[in-house]
Amino acid sequence: MKKTLVTALLGAALSMAATGDLMAQTTLRIFTGGQQRPDVMKQIVDVYMQRNPGVKVEVEVGGATSEQQQQYLNTVLASRDSTLDVVLIDVIRPAQWAAAQWAEPLDSYLGAEKDATMARYVAAYREANIVNGKVIALPYFADAQFLYYRKDLFEKHGVQPPKTWTELRDGLKKIMDAEKNPNLSGFQTAGAPIEGTVCTYLVPLWELGGQLTDASGKLTLTGETARKPFDLWGDLKSSGVLPSNIAEIVTDRMRQNYQAGNLISTMNWGYVWNRVENDADSVVKGKTGVVPMPAYEAGKSATCIGGWQLAVTAFSKNKAEAVKLVRFLSSPEVSKMQAILASHMPVFPEVYTDPEVLKANPWFKDALPVVQTARSRPVTPRYNEVSEIIRTNMNAFLAGTKTADAALSDMQSRLTPIFK
Amino acid sequence: MSSTTAEAGARHAATPPARKGRARLSPLERAERRLGLMMLAPAVLLLCAVVVYPIVELVTTSLRFEHLAQPWMGTPFVGLDNFARAMSDEIFWSSTLNTVIYIVVTVPGAVLVGLGLALLANQPFKIKWPVRLGLLLPWALPLVFTGLIFRWFFEFNQGIVNNALMLVGMSPRQWLSDPFLAFVATCIAIVWKSSSFVALVLLAGLQTIPRSLYEAAEIDGAGRWQQFVEITLPMLRPAIVVALIFRTITAIQTFDIPYAMTNGGPGHSTETLAMYIHKTTIDFLDLGYGSALAVLMFAVSVVATSGYLRYTKRDPRKEA
Repeated sequence: MKKTLVTALLGAALSMAATGDLMAQTTLRIFTGGQQRPDVMKQIVDVYMQRNPGVKVEVEVGGATSEQQQQYLNTVLASRDSTLDVVLIDVIRPAQWAAAQWAEPLDSYLGAEKDATMARYVAAYREANIVNGKVIALPYFADAQFLYYRKDLFEKHGVQPPKTWTELRDGLKKIMDAEKNPNLSGFQTAGAPIEGTVCTYLVPLWELGGQLTDASGKLTLTGETARKPFDLWGDLKSSGVLPSNIAEIVTDRMRQNYQAGNLISTMNWGYVWNRVENDADSVVKGKTGVVPMPAYEAGKSATCIGGWQLAVTAFSKNKAEAVKLVRFLSSPEVSKMQAILASHMPVFPEVYTDPEVLKANPWFKDALPVVQTARSRPVTPRYNEVSEIIRTNMNAFLAGTKTADAALSDMQSRLTPIFK
Repeated sequence: MSSTTAEAGARHAATPPARKGRARLSPLERAERRLGLMMLAPAVLLLCAVVVYPIVELVTTSLRFEHLAQPWMGTPFVGLDNFARAMSDEIFWSSTLNTVIYIVVTVPGAVLVGLGLALLANQPFKIKWPVRLGLLLPWALPLVFTGLIFRWFFEFNQGIVNNALMLVGMSPRQWLSDPFLAFVATCIAIVWKSSSFVALVLLAGLQTIPRSLYEAAEIDGAGRWQQFVEITLPMLRPAIVVALIFRTITAIQTFDIPYAMTNGGPGHSTETLAMYIHKTTIDFLDLGYGSALAVLMFAVSVVATSGYLRYTKRDPRKEA
């Protein structure tokens, strides 16, 4: 028995010695979402592995939506599992990750370079990733919501790109009446009970000058302003511009509908451009315009800040190597690659004016100010609950299950104990 | 806990108790008994690890405040606070009500459809395998896939259901975003998925009914309907009860199909208690409150099951 053990150990040692290279190799595992272009991340990671032969990077692809990914991550991280080294997280999550102590703070790894490194990012992303003075994650790509619209149809019917919601409604009605195509929807925004539906409520709220919480973190969701976003979507729905099934619409569905030529305009994120212009099944190539979201008053447009951040998990066994990888993925070089390969919006201001980037995404030239002024969804460790309350009530309103007053008062009564 | 059980058992075996019946055991019998207990021990230990421990853990967590998004709050003992919170939580009540409606609709629904399928499969077909395969397939399909498939069936623009409605000149319906229709759609999916299991159980029951009973009934001049009511149904009763028990227990836990089809929407109108527990623990990381909800659901399951069990225990004696 002992003898066999010894021989087995010897054998193992010999075979390890034979593959000396493998022994020195570190394997890092990075988690990304199905909708954050894992194919592009794999290309980028290949470049990293070529330059760092001692490191092997595996890309794990999770669910398509932000909350599906987080559900999985919640179980992995709550059990302090060390399989994931780097995780791509939504811009709404750093506060929660910091509170739960799931992210390894990067300050000590950045050392003296911390301030200089952080200063290079678009300000909103610098702020989003620093929680209570600690760097929780580094930005991978930026995002904001824009109005995508069918330039060809707008021109054909003599409609200008809308600056206000009224212009959007009237313009779309005109186009829809003239086109007489029953499959053609006017406008879509997320309406299903998903994360994006939180922005469907918040964008008009912000445009009106409203806010969910004040600077001290108290709920300020009151009065007419809090009710008006419901009225806006209710009006667009009753005028037929918003489709009757809006309550089942998820983010990528809008992109699919638009790409199939069944949708005139949509409030959507940066990734849509690349798919619309490059996907084989897109029937609207070269027919798309991108402008800031319409507002109640021209020029008072608002948008949700989006984008994805790279966090090193607190349970990783290769933190130093993981931080190196993260710093590469959060570099101007990778920002540019992503902009060209996936129309992911850069997190460095100078990349927006890069000629190659502009060639792939002509609309980026006007996009930086929109990203710079994009607003954050409420920052709280209990964001998951906040999000659920807003999206379920918005969804119930869009489905016609709740009136605006009922949805708003349910929202208020459930949010109050969280923001007390 | 588990080890004490085993130790207690070992002690019993080692020192014969003073009771008369046991004192008469011969050394051989005692050794046999010890062996028996030893052989039982692994199973008892395993049961303790996978059943007793989680339940104890669940109950203790339900008496604490434990919120992973607020680790600085610690995990203080809060008594029955979590349960009190459930009693005044509107969503707890609405999701419980939804679960009850799912039970009331889909349990009899699955038994009725399953009975029909079983009777059909019991016909003397020449080639039996396509029928049996048709019965087995829905049962073999994972629940969440069933949900995804039906979600596409009921989809507004591309769904086959709305397509069919439009072919016969009706207007398309919002199956997944109208609260009532969403409930109907999820019920249809659940019944489709679960009736094949019921059918399998009932088919097994049907095949135990002796043909001679039907022959005798025919000679006595009983029609087909009479044969069904007087012979098939009474003889099938034990099988029906078994199917009902299993179906009810799974219906209490309804989760996958509404989760995949509507995610509980619109609003909370198709959200079940199991979905709310999942949301509270996995999404909100509120382990204390989620555990309290799970304890409540466990209590409901126990009550429902014990009701059925009492019925089955009494039944065979009566029949005999």
